[in-house]
Amino acid sequence: MFDLVNEILQTLQHNKLRTALTGFAVAWGIFMLIVLLGMGNGVTNSFREEVTSPGSQKISIWGGRTSKPYHGYREGRNIDLKNADIKRLEEDNPEFISEVNSSIYGVQVKMTAGTHSRTASYTGVFPSQITNAGNIDKVHGRSINDKDMATRAKVVVLPQKYADEFFPPDGLKAVGKRLNIGGLSFLVVGVYESSWGRDIYVPYTTAQMLTGNKDNPGSLQVMLQNLSTVEEGNDAETKIRHALSEAHDFDPEDDSALWVWNQFSQGLQGLKAMDILNISIWILGLLTLLSGVVGISNIMFVSVKERTHEIGIRRAIGAKPRSILIQIIAESVAITTLFGYIGIVFGTAVTQFLDYIFRDANFIKNPTVNLSLALQVTVVLIVAGALAGLFPALKSLKVKPVEALRDE
Amino acid sequence: MIKLRDVNKTYPGAVPLHVLKGINLDVERGELVSIMGASGSGKSTLLNILGILDNYDSGEYWLDGTLIKNLSENKAAEYRNRMIGFVFQSFNLINYKNALENVALPLFYQGVSRRKRNQLAMEQLERMGLADRAHHLPGELSGGQKQRVAIARALITRPSIILADEPTGALDSRTSKDVMEVFKQLNRNEGMTIVIVTHDPGVGEQTDRIIRISDGVIA
Repeated sequence: MFDLVNEILQTLQHNKLRTALTGFAVAWGIFMLIVLLGMGNGVTNSFREEVTSPGSQKISIWGGRTSKPYHGYREGRNIDLKNADIKRLEEDNPEFISEVNSSIYGVQVKMTAGTHSRTASYTGVFPSQITNAGNIDKVHGRSINDKDMATRAKVVVLPQKYADEFFPPDGLKAVGKRLNIGGLSFLVVGVYESSWGRDIYVPYTTAQMLTGNKDNPGSLQVMLQNLSTVEEGNDAETKIRHALSEAHDFDPEDDSALWVWNQFSQGLQGLKAMDILNISIWILGLLTLLSGVVGISNIMFVSVKERTHEIGIRRAIGAKPRSILIQIIAESVAITTLFGYIGIVFGTAVTQFLDYIFRDANFIKNPTVNLSLALQVTVVLIVAGALAGLFPALKSLKVKPVEALRDE
Repeated sequence: MIKLRDVNKTYPGAVPLHVLKGINLDVERGELVSIMGASGSGKSTLLNILGILDNYDSGEYWLDGTLIKNLSENKAAEYRNRMIGFVFQSFNLINYKNALENVALPLFYQGVSRRKRNQLAMEQLERMGLADRAHHLPGELSGGQKQRVAIARALITRPSIILADEPTGALDSRTSKDVMEVFKQLNRNEGMTIVIVTHDPGVGEQTDRIIRISDGVIA
């Protein structure tokens, strides 16, 4: 065994350029496959996380305008969603609806604290919307709670940036202080840390009161639970339509009466698209690998041809065909294994590096390949290397030793 | 040692070429003989058959009491390895292996351990007076030295016969003389059976017996 290894090392060293070229083809194939798969995984992981995060498992609904007559009403009637719809949906379908909420965005008013004043917009939200907001790292003090909602409490949760502005020097100490919003005095109950969040949160019910729009949530977000397929998501959508059609007297088949955005089903369909992306990446990677294998075969072919004379000498002094075969195959396996390993090391290093670079980016998540996959790919490559060596080796054995010796 | 009975060899082709036409030949143990003939006389073909590098169509070839006929490639390789030592005109050393490794190579294919191999190879090189060249590559050796390395390689398996194909063909007259001296000493001192194929009468004269072949028959 040691002799064989020695013999292989000697021939590989003797043909440095050939070894390097073959090795490069192999290492490059593996490297590309790993980096491509890693990036594909990164995009998929990030998308999957987005789709499966609690904040994305939802169906959003806006009131529309009917296009069909129903129960004695003419078409062309506006459908306005009501606060009561929130309770109705929650109570009718607790098995798949965890919560129904709504929000009021972007109302610009003047805000004042002491001598500091500026115009900003507040956002009326349900408590869970702060909890599920992906961009909030930490809340100092407390968040908005159900009691605030019930009592339309004048409380506010500030982003740290604005808290610093209104209550210098340390915004985190703003909890318990008072902020004047549009002429009304609000209690700052919490300050949150976020890298890019700038929303000033007040209870949804309080915002309704402030905007004077007490019973008309413009849109509803139905948060889903216990659903896992596109079909279940579509069923849930149909049930919601039926429930609202009963309450607002419109035809449940009338698509224009409600505007519905089924993010849940859409996300799952997006995941299927991701599968297609991944398949394409695999195909690309395997083709790259294939070109590596073709490279090995080519070079092995040439190298065996180059060595016809040497093989003739070896056979004249008593090398059995099997010895020659084993040596040539072992050589190509040695090259593919060694350089395949190098490809894995570099590929993994690059994916880890990308992982580090994109650590804060939310479009790529964990762009790495698990090691067993990398090893499987290498095994494939080694087998390919063995085959790549086999055919030229068999061909070399067809040449009689006499002819091989004559070939100078 | 060598016994050929009515050996025929035809190369197939559009015009089949009948190269050996019933060769009968005996070489006794311990003989130093030369086979001479013009080019195209069939002497190379005869050498290839003697060296089990090529097969023949009919007749019988006995080497050291063994019938060499219709051998599998594996069997032929084994017989070549154990019974025949080759010396070629162009030396046929492997150019990226040093002298010692070249000499030891036949033992590699017998599965002899590395240490043992190198020890035996060193002994052979010493006999050839090349101990100090053991770690030189063939490219760093003179023609005569290369041929002596090749002879050392031929001897290492203690073969039944040495087959030399124009062993002095690529050497100047002085080195030729040296190499012939090596063959003669091997023959005289150790009783080695040696067959030299040559077209050089000067070489032929130095052997015990000249076998002349012309047009596929022994004259």
